[in-house]
Amino acid sequence: MHLLKVTPMLRIPTKFFGDRECDVDSIYTFPAGVPGFEDQHSFCFLTMPGSEPLLFMQSTSTQNLCFVMLPILVVDPDYKVALAGEELAMLELPPGRTPQIGRDILCAALVCSGAGAQPTVNLMAPIVVNLKTKTGIQMIHGESGYSHRHPLRLEEELVAC
Amino acid sequence: MLIMWRRAGESLLVGDGIEIEVLEAKSHRVKLGIVAPASVAIVRKEARITREENLAAALSADQGMIETLLRRLPGAVPAADSAVTSSKS
Repeated sequence: MHLLKVTPMLRIPTKFFGDRECDVDSIYTFPAGVPGFEDQHSFCFLTMPGSEPLLFMQSTSTQNLCFVMLPILVVDPDYKVALAGEELAMLELPPGRTPQIGRDILCAALVCSGAGAQPTVNLMAPIVVNLKTKTGIQMIHGESGYSHRHPLRLEEELVAC
Repeated sequence: MLIMWRRAGESLLVGDGIEIEVLEAKSHRVKLGIVAPASVAIVRKEARITREENLAAALSADQGMIETLLRRLPGAVPAADSAVTSSKS
């Protein structure tokens, strides 16, 4: 049986892409915000054609707040997500089972580029969201051995002679 | 750096109003109890680092950064006519 699902859309002013019609399914709730932005509880996750594999985490309430992210497995195909019991609970995931990236959760690293410096990603504290319940947290694992300033490998700039 | 050994149940004092007690010590982690004035902020170091990185990430996210990533990230789509500048209204 074919059910026509009508997904409500929301118009969100974005930092980089003007006003966007966003599918409510692409909006994630962060009950605790993220450190430094504790009052930001709602983010729209955007991908843009031609901008893969970048992922944009746009605040739905603050136009000028948009994080640039990379899927964690793009940065490190062997990345291990080890969620503690309380993190599973915050993400509304069942205890005792390792959630699968891509099926249960989306895991992405925030990109940061200092003045003129090489861009880095924070692998110590990735953004993790439950794809089903649309709940998100920033998973801070200081003991994981992953760097908060993991340098991104970039290709050399081709300079026209 | 001042280094000292403590057992579970023992504590140490920092200045006048701060006490840090080792409540439990396991092989890989210790449980601490901290008594301090309300004016003293106590955060896990990695939470402070994450806060600073988040603020820097939000500030440094701009068109220039996006264009650099799309141009130079291995496997990224060449930004010939980058959709970054397009928008659906």
